[in-house]
Amino acid sequence: MVFAGETLIQGWTWIPAIGLEFAFRLDGLALLFALLILVIGLLIIIYARYYLSKKDSMGRFFAYLLMFMGSMLGIVLSENLIQMVVFWELTSLTSFLLISYWQHRQDARAGARMALIITGGGGLALLAGVLLLGHVVGSYNLTDVLAAGDLIRGHDLYIPILVLVLLGVFTKSAQFPFHFWLPHAMAAPTPVSAYLHSATMVKAGIFLLARFFPVLSGTPEWTWFVGGAGLITLLIGAYTALFQHDIKGLLAYSTISHLGLITLLFGFGTQLAAVAAIFHIINHATFKASLFMVAGIIDHETGTRDMRRINGLLKYMPHTAVLAMIAAAAMAGVPLLNGFLSKEMFFDQALTASNASVWAWAIPILVIIAAVFSVAYSLRFIHDVFFNGEPVDLPKTPHEPPRFMKIPVDLLVVICLAVGIIPMFTVAPILAVAVAGTLQTTPPEYSLAIWHGFNFPLLMSFVALVLGILVYVMRKRLFEWHESGVAHWDARIIFNALLGALGTFASRVTRSFDKGSLQNASVWVIATALLAGFIGFTSVSAPLFGDRELLPVDGVSVLAIAILMIASVLTVVWHQKRLIALVILGVVGLIISLMFVKFSAPDLALTQLSVEIVTVILLLLALYFLPQTTPNETSDLRVSRDIVIALLSGVGVTLLTMAVLTRDFVPISEFFLLNSVPGGGGTNVVNVILVDFRGTDTLGEIAVLALAGLGIYAMLQGMKLHAPDKDSGGRLWNSDLHPEIMQTLTRLLLPLMLMIAIYIFLRGHNLPGGGFIAGLIASVALIVQYLSNGIAWTNDRLKFDMHWVIGFGLLIATTTGLVAMGLGYPFMTTAFTYLNWPVVGKFEVASAIAFDLGVFLVVVGATVMSLVELGKLSNQSHLSKNIEKSKAQLKSQQEAN
Amino acid sequence: MGGIRLQRAISFLAVIGLVLLSAALISATSTDQYQVYLLGNWTAPFGIVLVLDRLSALMVTVTSVLAVGALWYAMTTNTDKKGEHFHILFQLQLFGLNGAFLTGDVFNLFVFFEVLLLASYGLLLHGNGRLRTKAGLHYVVINLIGSTLFLFAVGVLYGVLGTLNIADMAAKIAVAPQEDLGVIAAAGLLLLVVFGVKAAMFPLYLWMPSAYANTSAPVAALFAIMTKVGIYSIIRIHGTIFGSEAGELAYYYAPWVLGLGLITLLLAALGVMAARGLREQVAYLVLASVATLLIGVGLMSPAALNATLYYLIHSTLIAGAMFLLADVVLRGRGTYEDRFESGSCMPNAILIGSVFMIAAIAMTGMPPLSGFFGKILILSAALDDAWFAMITSVVLVSGLITILSMARTGSLIFYKVLPEESVPASECGKPLNRMAFIAVIGLLLASPVLVVFAQPITAFTEATANQVFNSAVYIDAILTTPAVTEESK
Amino acid sequence: MEWLISLAIGVLTASGVYLTLRAYTFPVVMGLTLLAYAVNIFLFSMGRLTVGLPAVIDKTAEVAQYSDPLPQALVLTAIVIAFGMTAFLIVLALKARGELGNDHVDGLDVESESHSNKGVK
Repeated sequence: MVFAGETLIQGWTWIPAIGLEFAFRLDGLALLFALLILVIGLLIIIYARYYLSKKDSMGRFFAYLLMFMGSMLGIVLSENLIQMVVFWELTSLTSFLLISYWQHRQDARAGARMALIITGGGGLALLAGVLLLGHVVGSYNLTDVLAAGDLIRGHDLYIPILVLVLLGVFTKSAQFPFHFWLPHAMAAPTPVSAYLHSATMVKAGIFLLARFFPVLSGTPEWTWFVGGAGLITLLIGAYTALFQHDIKGLLAYSTISHLGLITLLFGFGTQLAAVAAIFHIINHATFKASLFMVAGIIDHETGTRDMRRINGLLKYMPHTAVLAMIAAAAMAGVPLLNGFLSKEMFFDQALTASNASVWAWAIPILVIIAAVFSVAYSLRFIHDVFFNGEPVDLPKTPHEPPRFMKIPVDLLVVICLAVGIIPMFTVAPILAVAVAGTLQTTPPEYSLAIWHGFNFPLLMSFVALVLGILVYVMRKRLFEWHESGVAHWDARIIFNALLGALGTFASRVTRSFDKGSLQNASVWVIATALLAGFIGFTSVSAPLFGDRELLPVDGVSVLAIAILMIASVLTVVWHQKRLIALVILGVVGLIISLMFVKFSAPDLALTQLSVEIVTVILLLLALYFLPQTTPNETSDLRVSRDIVIALLSGVGVTLLTMAVLTRDFVPISEFFLLNSVPGGGGTNVVNVILVDFRGTDTLGEIAVLALAGLGIYAMLQGMKLHAPDKDSGGRLWNSDLHPEIMQTLTRLLLPLMLMIAIYIFLRGHNLPGGGFIAGLIASVALIVQYLSNGIAWTNDRLKFDMHWVIGFGLLIATTTGLVAMGLGYPFMTTAFTYLNWPVVGKFEVASAIAFDLGVFLVVVGATVMSLVELGKLSNQSHLSKNIEKSKAQLKSQQEAN
Repeated sequence: MGGIRLQRAISFLAVIGLVLLSAALISATSTDQYQVYLLGNWTAPFGIVLVLDRLSALMVTVTSVLAVGALWYAMTTNTDKKGEHFHILFQLQLFGLNGAFLTGDVFNLFVFFEVLLLASYGLLLHGNGRLRTKAGLHYVVINLIGSTLFLFAVGVLYGVLGTLNIADMAAKIAVAPQEDLGVIAAAGLLLLVVFGVKAAMFPLYLWMPSAYANTSAPVAALFAIMTKVGIYSIIRIHGTIFGSEAGELAYYYAPWVLGLGLITLLLAALGVMAARGLREQVAYLVLASVATLLIGVGLMSPAALNATLYYLIHSTLIAGAMFLLADVVLRGRGTYEDRFESGSCMPNAILIGSVFMIAAIAMTGMPPLSGFFGKILILSAALDDAWFAMITSVVLVSGLITILSMARTGSLIFYKVLPEESVPASECGKPLNRMAFIAVIGLLLASPVLVVFAQPITAFTEATANQVFNSAVYIDAILTTPAVTEESK
Repeated sequence: MEWLISLAIGVLTASGVYLTLRAYTFPVVMGLTLLAYAVNIFLFSMGRLTVGLPAVIDKTAEVAQYSDPLPQALVLTAIVIAFGMTAFLIVLALKARGELGNDHVDGLDVESESHSNKGVK
């Protein structure tokens, strides 16, 4: 059907949101490439079976190779462009795997990485180009894109699209300035080089040129970019190939040169040039694949690829030699071989192009120069390897390879001959449909005849042949000249330097930003917050302050707040003397609880007070293990920077507070005041909010406390700390751990404090108090026992693990919430009722009280556990060694006295 | 530790139950209805509401799947025995995460943040080690500063708008007088800083690489969702209260998210290149994926959000797999651990290496795995944006840098493996723990699944994105849900 | 009065920020505690300041005459959470001292380094 000019399309939806379909397309161009991939692929597989040695993992090789083959087919058969990019990148990946197949070799790993970076990077550029293309056309399907040539060429985004797509093409097809990866990819096993790096993968870029030819070509930019890159690559490749000593190196640069030739043809932009390009794609694939296989045979049979050592192989392997000579002649463009036909067309097109402008006469000249070198290196391949005396110091004695290594080469060489001699009966039909598929119109008239009469192209061929032989004859001098200078120009050096520079840059940037310093991180967060507040405010034009009426100032408040501020500043000033700073910090906390009293918030005052006490005890316990003073800062600059940030933060927060306090607002709180008694059954609105309206917050809050307790417990297990035996003044710690007066007093106090806790707990729903405050008071009561009587004594009397207390607390709180669910209400719904108890009278029973009990238990459990575990630590370190030590010291001191 | 078997059984059953429950939640959202749950039976905005929509269902599901992988790995490698209370911390971590994803109240979000943070502190420090303690200290302090900022921001919002419910806030911002907008905008950006700290946005991410690199593997894997909490919060809170209804403030935060996301992405890519060990490298890869998400969020269109959500599923699960895999490598390399030095011997190198390659392909966004499609979705959503050229270059260039770095890592670790005989047994790593490896494979499977089932999955994320952008419906659904009465039961 | 309170919050914040940015764990803990104080008063004041109002519902009084209870509940929660965090952090600081050998936030023993330098002199 394709031969009848039809285009077959089959697709399924994939990600409709971006127009990605899983769709395939078979037209002439796709068919040609699919045939190349499959036929040469088959030959390569047969060949590789005998090429690989027993040590190599056959399974891995063929898995990679078939993955590659599938991806390559995917590229040429894709209807959807994004899908094509997917396959495109897959070929980069599989080529990475194949090049690095001999992973123990450094050159293989480096070559694979270089190929991946260049072709993969190009693929990403192609992706961007395809996205733009789809954006312009409105579809990623080739059918739509190919129909939208005029739209695309006329679009503002044409140049970006062209550049991005060409980046993909040039990297993949090893065009200047990205050509340098290809020779390094030759570290791959030879079947891979033959398949990927001459016949198929490097042709993917060329394929794309053909595919987008109707859409992107025909503009001066196309001609300059594509033609320019092609011409430079053609010349560089041909020139460099001559000077390679490695057979595969020679073939690699030759491949680069031929890819440049094809690119240049597409760059001419005419339909006939496209015909020539496609014809040359076929021819190059056949002769170059066979040459690579020959190179592989030679490598396989001689153990080296160095042409300075491999000489005179004709008599060792005559069959292979004949095949190689025919293929190399095709490469040189000798008549009666396929390379000649497409080269003639190429010369013809170069001549046509020379009419384009005043300077275009240079094109045919440069083309002939390239052809001269092409003849010369082909000659070198034949002469150096198969003639030129005897082999030098070969690792193996060469002989003909196994038959199945030759059969693929045989077949390809037969094709070279058949196409070269009878093109009309061999290549014509497939070339015709491929051209039609490429151009998306009826192909132009062209002739595939071997003989077109005496004309300029024939003359050019002749000149190239003669001069090529001449150059080869003069090669000694040329080699000397080359070695003295040009040989050292290697793009790889630049590439590696760039990569190294990028690495250094990356390290420098990363380490200078992420210094692993907490101060650095904190400064960034705080400074960003300051900036965010400022930017946020200034992004809208609105006044900073509102016009709400302010409260009058009274003397007591001024005094209290003045003390607060002074204490706060003193904490900073004296922060290096840690104990003093901690005491002042306690003062700050106390004044804050007084402030809460002043501003009608007794619950807060109680909470703040009890938290303050527990926190200070905790910090004191901790301080025991820490140095008593903070050393001086290392840098004054940092201190002044921090002062600036601190002051700005202070100013910022002050202004922010005032900005809110000078405005009126309508809070949702009225609801709470109205519903607290009828809906929540309590007159202490704050407590009702905590256990009822916003009970889930409280559930989360006790989860936090429980976590803190458990986390502290987990951290303290196995922690070893060295406790000091002297305080900051150099005095020994008192060995009398539990003074008797304190013991007696606290034991008496315990029942009293627990009673207070229960009282505070029970009244919480209606008066300031509640589970949390009660929990803290009970904790303090218990902790005081530990402090004054010692952990062992208290634990003997308090025989339950605090883990259980925490667990039960959480369980009770959650269950209270769950009960409501059992009754058909949402989680955490509360209920209350009034009971008439004898003697006591009317008493309210609210389910919220059960919840509050959970809170109480968690608070007690977590607080006591943290403090006691910490205390144990000090006890251990104290009792085990230090007490003994201090006693000994004390004794020695006394003796000294 | 006597009860560890019981703890494991309960813990594992709980996460399996969570997965099933999440699946039920996902199907419950298929009608585009918001499910509003009035905690304590108090109507919004007065009580706290839980809101289930496609977005929260998606987040909960991703979390639960990740949790199964992380927990399985923790149990099969006995990481949970390396210290006290692993399972309870793990479960409370999930409690905090799920709460944060479901709540409809800003202050309640703060509380759940604190729950998940404190649980994460405990988990981060689980096991021991100098570097872990140091990283933990930094993590805790930075997050405490973050929590303080959160309270300042919530305070201002309450002080001006008089409410805490997200929907109610959105409704009130829409009608707020012009002179209040400055303060509101300042609070909004402060909140962005808070979420930026969680999400690891430049310049607030400094806590992140060393915290992720130095904690135990299952914890790091679970933490893959932690940064997404920040992303989620920006989408949810900022997307709703500064959404299309917010007048002058509509999406005013978005350019900042986009710009900072781009910077983060570049720095993350450089970090991937500069990393000195595999775990640090994976941490920077996670940073890069978060940055990509920030870009998606900053583009503020339904298409971009669709892309973001797809990429979020991918990056969370694959990052989890990657952290576990880094640990597998570390255990296999013996004394070389995860340092970038070649020459170790490594049992099962070919298997681990192949899986590593697949994971790296997914993580760096190479085809044919989900990372690539996520990036394409984001880039094609950016096509209409004025910053398209910038976004595309940054995304692709940083992608290339990560690809080349991972290629280097892969060949360094797996291509230069010495045969076991040639290395003294003491230096050689342990043989592969196949049971634990199941977790890696399981999480990695997400990537091909995301590709093969891209159509239904993007259909879901697309519907999710549309739902998020329709904030008027969200507001209305929450503020009109009635309480349960005796009759309505 | 509002200015006074705002100023107090500002001073507490500034002191807190400065101490939080110090290089040793103990001042950092104190700094974060100060910051917690600051934010608690701030959060509390967001309900606007009221003086001398009843704290619990007096069934005979008008609703408008109570102070805003919601911020108080929030502050209560915040105080508790801050307490849990402080407790955790200070123990973590001890752990860091134990494992890193000093109480510098980055585990750098600046003091002993400078001592050893002096020793060389």
